[in-house]
Amino acid sequence: MSVQNAMMESGLFEDLQKKIDEDTQVKDTLREIVQQLEKQDRATQAILSKAHSTPSAELSPVLQAAQSSIENEVQSIQRLAEVASKHPYYRYNYAWTREMQSAVSGKHDLLERRGLNTQPGHLLTLAEVTTLMQIPPIAPTTDSFHLTPEEYLQSLISLVDELSRLARNSVTLGDTARPLQISKFIKDVHAGFQMLNLRNDGLRKRSDGVKYRVKEAEDVVYDLSLRGLLPGQGKV
Amino acid sequence: MAEPTSDSPESPFLPIFETFRKEIDEHHERRERVIKASRDITASSKKIIFTLHRLRTIGQSLPDHIAKANKPYTTDIATKLTLIAPDLQGQNADRYSRQISSGLQEYIEAASFQYYLETGTLLTYATAASNVRDLCTGEAKVKLGYEDYILGLYDFTGEVMKFGITAMATSGTIPISGPGRTLLTDLRALRAGLEGVRFGGSPVAREVDKKAEVMRVSVEKVEKALYGLTVRAGERPKGWMPSDGDGGRGEGVEV
Repeated sequence: MSVQNAMMESGLFEDLQKKIDEDTQVKDTLREIVQQLEKQDRATQAILSKAHSTPSAELSPVLQAAQSSIENEVQSIQRLAEVASKHPYYRYNYAWTREMQSAVSGKHDLLERRGLNTQPGHLLTLAEVTTLMQIPPIAPTTDSFHLTPEEYLQSLISLVDELSRLARNSVTLGDTARPLQISKFIKDVHAGFQMLNLRNDGLRKRSDGVKYRVKEAEDVVYDLSLRGLLPGQGKV
Repeated sequence: MAEPTSDSPESPFLPIFETFRKEIDEHHERRERVIKASRDITASSKKIIFTLHRLRTIGQSLPDHIAKANKPYTTDIATKLTLIAPDLQGQNADRYSRQISSGLQEYIEAASFQYYLETGTLLTYATAASNVRDLCTGEAKVKLGYEDYILGLYDFTGEVMKFGITAMATSGTIPISGPGRTLLTDLRALRAGLEGVRFGGSPVAREVDKKAEVMRVSVEKVEKALYGLTVRAGERPKGWMPSDGDGGRGEGVEV
């Protein structure tokens, strides 16, 4: 240790650098997986986007493609879970939270679209969606990878955004029954959000938008009913 | 807000949302407690720093009146850390690290400044972390992240600069901090050390970049002041303070 630098212990900054380097290594590993997930997710969203212009009768192959794309995502999520579970959960949470929200909303989206043809209006719970996507369940006392309530709720908002778009596009494709189902679904989700005391954070900002989606879907239903175009309304 | 007009007014999804309600409420309460405590810790740390600036020398234990003046602030910091320690356990330590960060940084700034004035040396991370731990009198302890320690050190260089400028302006010499060392050699050593630390693409990196720029200016201020002292040595009466007209624009007299 040099005499003129007795101001600090030798190796003080080198030790700190070591800690930073360890952190950086973890982040690099995570980033590589998250980037892969993000790419796969974009593919899923692109397929689901195509579904906006596909009539119900021809929807099946599109949804099938979306399903296999989501299966790719599930594989990435499993790799992510394996690495992330080795580290304090919230330390690196920021690295994947957006991608996870998007991946989960894709799954919601797919199932809602399937459901709309058969049993409308089922909302996947957090436990259901994590099981479907093979995400480990929440374990508050360990650092195991999971989906947070905030991420789940964020994914619902993305779903609502997509559905309100689908309400209009269904009409264009000649399906006038869907907007009714969608309108009810969005209203029910909105009622759910109103139960939560959200403060000023990301979730609050985005959930404020849900009420506009309620209105958009209602407007579509209104337009249809005004013209006697709703199912069972028998044109005058 | 739109009234439910459908035949079933009660949303079937309410039970799903009900499960999050408590969790989200608790989250916001914890978060707000931590933010409040962080603000209080920042305020008390600033007051400690302010008192410490009344000193003029390095390497002596704190005079009684300074120690006494700072006691209530240290007590306040201990109280606030103890209060929020339970909110910062397990997963939550990282979850709210951004909320407590500014308070801890300011505390590190104050603690390392005091330590430097007393000993002429730099407070280590290990000592700083154990100080933070010991301030928590309850069972739960607050953990000091190394990022907050480093960010606190950057701010500490600013205090060393202010201290140096005031001491030079009032005594006409640069404070000696140890054998063969002055405040300026220490400040340069700190700068070299901090500049050697490289953050990758982490969220802290941007904050570090901003603080690094401020630190460079601080070191330069002391260098300019020392230059002024050297150039005018012998031709200025004791107690004289640099003024404008020499291109320094009075920078040397910043408090």
